[in-house]
Amino acid sequence: MKKIKAEKLGLTESVKRHLEAIGVVVGEVIVPSTITIHYPRERRKLPDNFRGLILFDNKACISCFRCAHICPANAIVMEHRIAYFPSIDYAKCIFCHFCVDSCPTGALRPTKIHDFVYKDMDEMVVHSEEMVETPEIVREDSFTVEYVFDGDVQLVKKKEKEELVPEVKPPERPPKVAAALNPENCISCRLCVAACPTFAISAKEEKTKIILEINVDRCTACSICNKICPTSTLGLVDR
Amino acid sequence: MQQKWEVTRPERYVEGKYFASLKAKVIDPGICSHCGTCSVCPVKGIRVEDKPIYFPNWEEECIDCAACVRVCPRYDYVPLNGMGEYIEILAAKSKRFKGQDGAMATEYLVSAIEKGLIDEAIFVGRDEDWRTTVHRVRDADQVNTLLTGTKYSFAAVLPEMIQSVREGNNVGVVGTPCMVSGIRKMQREIRLFAKRVKLVIGLFCTENFYWHQLSAFLAERGIDLRKGIKTDIKKGKFIVEYADGEKAEIPVKEFDPIIPSGCKVCQDFAAVESDVSVGSVGSKAGFSTLIIRQEVAKDLLDFMKEQGTVEVIEEVKMKIVEKLIHHKMEIHPYPPKK
Repeated sequence: MKKIKAEKLGLTESVKRHLEAIGVVVGEVIVPSTITIHYPRERRKLPDNFRGLILFDNKACISCFRCAHICPANAIVMEHRIAYFPSIDYAKCIFCHFCVDSCPTGALRPTKIHDFVYKDMDEMVVHSEEMVETPEIVREDSFTVEYVFDGDVQLVKKKEKEELVPEVKPPERPPKVAAALNPENCISCRLCVAACPTFAISAKEEKTKIILEINVDRCTACSICNKICPTSTLGLVDR
Repeated sequence: MQQKWEVTRPERYVEGKYFASLKAKVIDPGICSHCGTCSVCPVKGIRVEDKPIYFPNWEEECIDCAACVRVCPRYDYVPLNGMGEYIEILAAKSKRFKGQDGAMATEYLVSAIEKGLIDEAIFVGRDEDWRTTVHRVRDADQVNTLLTGTKYSFAAVLPEMIQSVREGNNVGVVGTPCMVSGIRKMQREIRLFAKRVKLVIGLFCTENFYWHQLSAFLAERGIDLRKGIKTDIKKGKFIVEYADGEKAEIPVKEFDPIIPSGCKVCQDFAAVESDVSVGSVGSKAGFSTLIIRQEVAKDLLDFMKEQGTVEVIEEVKMKIVEKLIHHKMEIHPYPPKK
């Protein structure tokens, strides 16, 4: 074992160092250099794509089931409302936001709300209609704090309240859209109408005619119609 | 606009789903030719088997698309007959294949594959019991594994052809005159088939049978088809040739009770709508008679001559062909005599 002996200092040097130490303590008492954020009186500034509570727009949802299919925690179950809409079980949710990222129409939106509680497990299953409105949040904060990494970590405090539901640009629609490439092949079986997950294809019967139409706004270019068509009528074209 | 299109469908013959119309107008009156074109059915409900065409549980499963009545050659039936239009008539023989006569149907299909005209050819083979089997062929070697030659039984060629087309192949097919008419009507109604069915070979045909009826009929008369190696109809007699060279003969007239009712209204002997019609009558033994009707068939024959796979002779006894054409018109009046 190696013993470390205290450094032997002269009297002047010893007094100087003691005074320095007292100075630091006095300085910390007056202006503390802590990097702790005083939640809930302060909130940390979060990025717009922060993975918090998820909101839902039932008008934008096309019931494509992608969120339910991609969810790695099986937290999303599609429930029948006017169409099939997602419900999220927050007891399972791992906040990966794959559902938000996979949503082709931006019907699922991210928020910066990360502080929410439920009374029991049943309540943690949040149904689509409960996700439409932004929940009421009790805000006690008056400062927004930001960490600035500039050599050393620094705290930048601003006396302002951050909006927790950011404006999110809806995802771009795929550049392609379904179309009847060979309408003269069509045998009016309407398998495409039945198969389309977004109800984008409609068929109207008029006497001996069948009029088929693709709603471009609803089409997500998933190609299911194309695959199910028995006569190669459908395909994708540029939007 | 590519997002809106319409499909015109025929009038319904009876109330209800379209299959009900097909049933009431074609199947139930017995004018169905068993060509199998209706197997275009998008839900694959219509069955083409060794019994009249049927659709189990159609009341539930038919999706009322009208495809079957659009393509059915008997739905608005006008009998075709006569020699039809043609470019030339000649007799030919394949140098590499063995078939009923000159094996020209086989030669045509294989040459079409070799020329690159088609990806797949639909062939009819048979099993030991002489049940027809349908095969998709992509090269000449595959043909040699099949038992070609005339079977006188319905074969589900068109379901296989339709499936092949759906998979994106260009196909060639051999069929009876009713199948040829079915394909042509389908090609007029659905462009996909006009594009992908490149070669349609028609066979000379008077009647065809259901396998179970034909085999039972022959068994009653002590003929075991299992031992047969060739069947043929010549000079009013149905002939079964055995491996040992023995032959059994039955007059064709005796077959009357088992002739399917759909054949009894058909007058098309020479497959007038085909690209090329192939048959036995009119040419000498070992040769097939060819009625070349379309350029595509003529080009293929030139290709075969270049490749040296055929032997062509000009002489065809037209009188016998004409006689059989008229004979079929006489024995199969439409509308049928009561």
